[in-house]
Amino acid sequence: MTFDFAIVLRFKEALLLGLWTTLQLTVICVVLGSLLGFLVGMARSANSPFVRVPARAYVEVFRGTPVIVQLFWFFFCLPLVIGTEIPNIVAGIIALTLYMGAITSETFRASLKSISREQYDACTALGLPHATQVVHVVLPQALLRAAPTLLSNCVSLFKESALLSAVGMADLMFIGQNISNNTARPVEVLTVVALIYFAIAFPLTRVVTRFESRVLAKLSA
Amino acid sequence: MDYAFDFYSVLSNTDVLIDGLLVTLELTVAANVVGLVLGFGVALLTTSSIFPVRVLSMLFVEFFRCTPAIVQIIWFFYCVPILFDVYIDSITMGIVALGLNLTAFNAEAYRASIQSVAREQMDASVALGFGPVQRTLYIILPNALRLSLPVLVTNGIGTFQQSALVALVAVQDLMYAGKSLATQTYRPIETFTAVALIYFVISFVVAQCVEFAARRYEPTSR
Amino acid sequence: MTQSSPAPLLQSDDRLGTQRGAPAAGTAAPLVQVRNLHKGYGPNIRVLKGLSIDMQPGERVVVIGPSGGGKSTLLRVLMGLEQIDEGSIRFAGKPYIEASPAGRRTTIDTVVRRQIGMVFQHYTLFPHLNILNNLILAPCKVHGENKATATARARALLARFGLEAKAEAYPNHLSGGQKQRVAIARALMLDPKLMLFDEVTSALDPELVAEVEQVILQLAQQDMPMVIVTHDMWFAKNIASRVIFCAGGVVVEDGPPEQVLGSPREERTREFIERVFHIR
Repeated sequence: MTFDFAIVLRFKEALLLGLWTTLQLTVICVVLGSLLGFLVGMARSANSPFVRVPARAYVEVFRGTPVIVQLFWFFFCLPLVIGTEIPNIVAGIIALTLYMGAITSETFRASLKSISREQYDACTALGLPHATQVVHVVLPQALLRAAPTLLSNCVSLFKESALLSAVGMADLMFIGQNISNNTARPVEVLTVVALIYFAIAFPLTRVVTRFESRVLAKLSA
Repeated sequence: MDYAFDFYSVLSNTDVLIDGLLVTLELTVAANVVGLVLGFGVALLTTSSIFPVRVLSMLFVEFFRCTPAIVQIIWFFYCVPILFDVYIDSITMGIVALGLNLTAFNAEAYRASIQSVAREQMDASVALGFGPVQRTLYIILPNALRLSLPVLVTNGIGTFQQSALVALVAVQDLMYAGKSLATQTYRPIETFTAVALIYFVISFVVAQCVEFAARRYEPTSR
Repeated sequence: MTQSSPAPLLQSDDRLGTQRGAPAAGTAAPLVQVRNLHKGYGPNIRVLKGLSIDMQPGERVVVIGPSGGGKSTLLRVLMGLEQIDEGSIRFAGKPYIEASPAGRRTTIDTVVRRQIGMVFQHYTLFPHLNILNNLILAPCKVHGENKATATARARALLARFGLEAKAEAYPNHLSGGQKQRVAIARALMLDPKLMLFDEVTSALDPELVAEVEQVILQLAQQDMPMVIVTHDMWFAKNIASRVIFCAGGVVVEDGPPEQVLGSPREERTREFIERVFHIR
């Protein structure tokens, strides 16, 4: 058995195009999902059960089901439910955004909860008005605390985006699989695809670890 | 919305879904056994004092943690038969792929907890005359297991959900059964909703039980 | 005050008695009047059981007593951080905190509250802001002071406490003693009429205690009224103009430091003082 990794180079452009699609989809879903997650995280700390309960149900459903099932549901069912065709890319973005929103809301909720009662006491002792307390003390600390996990959620979403290939979107994985089928060289092509994902995700996880210890050191004061 | 729901098509085919669910559960349980056992071994290797052992085992962990699970599964199904010139039945292959993925994630959980087993515990066990093997078995393992249990359970549930990916390489699990049922009956909404519900109920119930148990056995201070 | 209290408390009751009516000409109105304070956590734990104290302007009150005796709770109530079950507090002659008998809600006058500053055991600096911004956040946001004058005042205050070099540093780069001095400066930025110190040196390494106590002594020389909860009896002796021994949710003994610390009249006070001095 001989391997010819040079064959992969012939498909350099196609793979890069797939990677570009993967990155674009990731960024869109990360941005939309983080905003959604922030709102839902707030909703989960709300006093009214009419806000809190639906928010929790949403999070539990999206964390409690396989992402691939969510993806299939939005691909095959959403058009039927709303009664009109929707482009594949829209269904894909909706599914991954909702997933990102669910995991990110947990991140925000945990970081809000991590702010100690003493910080609130200090705000009261200084007579800070409620708005100042939220804008200048609570939110900055919560965001700082959430930032490393948020970044690690981005890495997760980058990896999950490979599922879009299963519903026919031309991302890195989809193009890799096509090349692999057409050339009958799965070992070379799929290994390179895996390495590309690794080359992007791994450095990011290192950054997360570094970043996290710095944030924790800062907030421990 | 004027869609006429018809859950009968799902209900009349529950046996198909149950057969699929059994395969899913088999994959999950077997992969968890692999992940729990190998994960601890790999975690010990990543804390080894021998440099090549440490680097290789860390590379193994990081590779599985930093690539999409679907890429790993498809890689296994396409490449392992070519590389090793063997035929392995698809369920075993699924167990290996999911199990190694879980091994990497569990190794990370074990490693974090091994490192947090207090230095004094180690000093004390040396002072008490335990050898390295005894130290590992009596001091490190129980401590690491206890500390990492919440993460191990979360990872285990994660593998239950990731097992749906093997449907893409034609393993006839719950997701696969749902896919074929949806095409046969032309009832994707009912079918995929039912499939999602099954995954959800199992994940949710297990997670809640574990959380309940954790709260019971480890009362938080104050 | 307990009913069974002997001579010294009756004396102080007499004094309070004259003030409860119209204050005689020339006597200043009490700065703080605590009346019949009751406070519990949940149905079973009663921390304060009808505690009353009057504090005159310029007084430095040190509150001592066994843990769980209600010292810290008293301070937190004074700061307006806690709801109370019964009682009232007046500050500088004005109503400040009142428990409404039926509604189980405490009304706290936030304008009055702004005249009180507090320093906590665990520093509670804002970790995401540098020292300067920790100091100017409240003046700028509460009093609408402009940033330039607040910054100038903050730098002057830091210089006074020997911390001018740390103005741009973040709290995690400071030692515990430095953090606590910054916390005091932060409270002083609001020109409080009363300072509360809740075990401010108990989280510190022994060698850092003196630098913080020094700053508080400096404030004492400027006649800043203060209420201090501390376990450090030597510090208590140095700074107090009056010592209150608080146990079981009531004032057990109340008087000048020489008396309460030196020759306590109450058996419980004596026991406590002996135990604490022997441990140290």
